[in-house]
Amino acid sequence: MQRLNQLQHRLREAIMAADADGTAVRVASKTVNATRGLSSPEHLRIYRRAVTGTFKRALGQLYPVTMRLLGQQFFDGMVCRYMRITPSLSPDLADYGSSFAEFIEGFEPAAGLPYLPDVARLEWAWHRAFSAADETALNIDALSEVPESDRARLLFALPASASLLASQYPVQRIWQVNQEDWSGSEEVNLDEGAARLIIWRRGYDMRIDPLHDSEWSLLSALTQNMPMRKLSQSFPDMATLLPHCVEHGWIAGFKLGESTD
Amino acid sequence: MSERADVQIRGAGIGLRSQHQQEIIDRQPSVPWFEVLSENYYGAGGTALAKLEKVRNLYPITLHGVGMSLGSTDPLNFEYLARLKSLADRFEPEWVSDHLAWISVGGEYVHDLLPLPCTQEALDHVVARIDQVQDFLGRRILIENPSTYLSYTDAEMPEWEFFREVAELSDCDILFDVNNAYVNASNHGFAATSYLDALPLARVREIHLAGFAQLDSYLFDTHGDRIHPPVWELYQLTIQRTGPVPTLIEWDTNIPDLGVLVAEAEKAQAQLDAVSCSA
Repeated sequence: MQRLNQLQHRLREAIMAADADGTAVRVASKTVNATRGLSSPEHLRIYRRAVTGTFKRALGQLYPVTMRLLGQQFFDGMVCRYMRITPSLSPDLADYGSSFAEFIEGFEPAAGLPYLPDVARLEWAWHRAFSAADETALNIDALSEVPESDRARLLFALPASASLLASQYPVQRIWQVNQEDWSGSEEVNLDEGAARLIIWRRGYDMRIDPLHDSEWSLLSALTQNMPMRKLSQSFPDMATLLPHCVEHGWIAGFKLGESTD
Repeated sequence: MSERADVQIRGAGIGLRSQHQQEIIDRQPSVPWFEVLSENYYGAGGTALAKLEKVRNLYPITLHGVGMSLGSTDPLNFEYLARLKSLADRFEPEWVSDHLAWISVGGEYVHDLLPLPCTQEALDHVVARIDQVQDFLGRRILIENPSTYLSYTDAEMPEWEFFREVAELSDCDILFDVNNAYVNASNHGFAATSYLDALPLARVREIHLAGFAQLDSYLFDTHGDRIHPPVWELYQLTIQRTGPVPTLIEWDTNIPDLGVLVAEAEKAQAQLDAVSCSA
C-alpha cells in the first residue's frame, strides 16, 4: 500500500497547492500520463479547477450575504486562500467553513468591511440551525414537578439549534437587507447600534431574535452551565426572566446537575 | 435476461434535488423511484430530513454517496459510515452506492472523486475496504465507475478490467454510469464498448445517465445537461446486454424544472420498455 499511499499524497498536494506550476504539481505530473490533447500538468489542472470550484460553490451557498457584500470575484479569491490553509476534515462538505469568520478577520484586503466577520458568524449560525436536531418546546409546567430541594441544582439548556451572537454592528439589519427577497431600502447605518442575537430554529421556522440585556446575560450564563443556585444570585429577576425566556423558546430543556457546593 | 424478482425498484428514476422536493410532495409526479444523495441528509434534523420523509412515504428510494473514499489509504471513516447506516435504517433505501474512487488522504478531504491507479496493489486494497464497508453496513453495496481526467503511468491493467475485478473479488454490485464510460473512453482514447465487454452483467443493478460538457480538449462530466445522443446509443447497447436495469437521470448543476428531468426519464423508460418487450 506504500506506493498507493505516496501517490495519493502527491496528488492531493498537487491539487491543493497554491502554485499551479510549483514543485507539488511537477512531482505529481511524473505519475500522470500525457494524452494527445493534454500534458500531464494539464490533466492535474482539471482536478485543481474542479476542487477549487467545489469549495467556492460550497462556501458561496453557506455564506451568501458575505459573498453579496464582497462581490463574487472577491469572495472566490478569498475562498481560494482559505481552502489552502484550512483542510476539510470531514467527508460531509456541510461541516466545512466553521472558521471562515476568523479567517476573514485576519484577511487584510477585506478590512474595509469591519462588520464582515460578524455577518459570516451569523451565516454559520444559520447554517448550523438549519439542520440541527428537531426539538419540542419546553413546557414550563415540567419545572414545577422538580422537588424544591433539587431546584438549586437545575441546569438549563438552549435549543440544540441555537447560537448567541454579539456584534458592535447592526448585523441583523445587514443580513436582512441582503436577502434575495428584500424589497426595502438597502441602506444600513453602521452607527445604528450593537446587536445581540440568538439564531435558532423553532420547529422548521428559522429565527434571528434580538435580545435585551437581561435576556442576553441569562442565556449567556446558561451556555456556561451555570446552575440555578448561582443564577438566582446573579439574576434578581429570575422568577420572571426564566419563564419569559422559556416562553420565547430560547430554553429547550433542563436537567439536574451535581449536588456539590 | 429478466428483472430480479426481489427488486422493488424498476424503470427510470430521477435524482432527488432539494429544489424539487416540495413539488414532488405536492404533485406526486409519475416517477417510479428517486435517488437520494446521502450527504445532503447528514444533519441531525430540520426541514430537509422532514421533506425526505414525505418523499419516502410516496416513493421507493436509493442512497447514493460520495463520502466513503473507498480507494483511500486512510483508515475507513467509521463515523461517516455510522451516519450512513443510521440514514439507511431510517429511510430503508433499496440499496446504497458510492464510487470506485478516493476523496481523501492524510485525513484531508478534497471532495472530488479521484481515480485509483489500475494496479494490483490498489485492487487488493480497495477490495479489502469494500469488504469492510459491506460487513459494517450489513448489506451489499453498489460501486460506480467514476469519470476520470487523468490516468497513471504505473497502470497494470485497463480501467474496465480493474472495475470488473473489484466487483468480482469484493462480491459487490455495480452501478454502471454510461455517461462516465463514454467520457472516459473519449478522454483516454479507448472504445466505450470495452466497458460493456468486461462488465459482469449479473452484478449491474443500476445505470446512471447524465449530460457532459465538451471543453477545450476533453469531456467534463458536469451532470448539467440533457443526455447526449452518443450516450443514449451506448445506453441502448448496455441494456441490450443487461436487460431492463433500473436507470437514473442525474442532474447536479444548472438544475432545470422537474418536468425536464421527467422527460429525460421517460426517454430512458421507452428504451427500457423496448428491451423488456424483446427479452
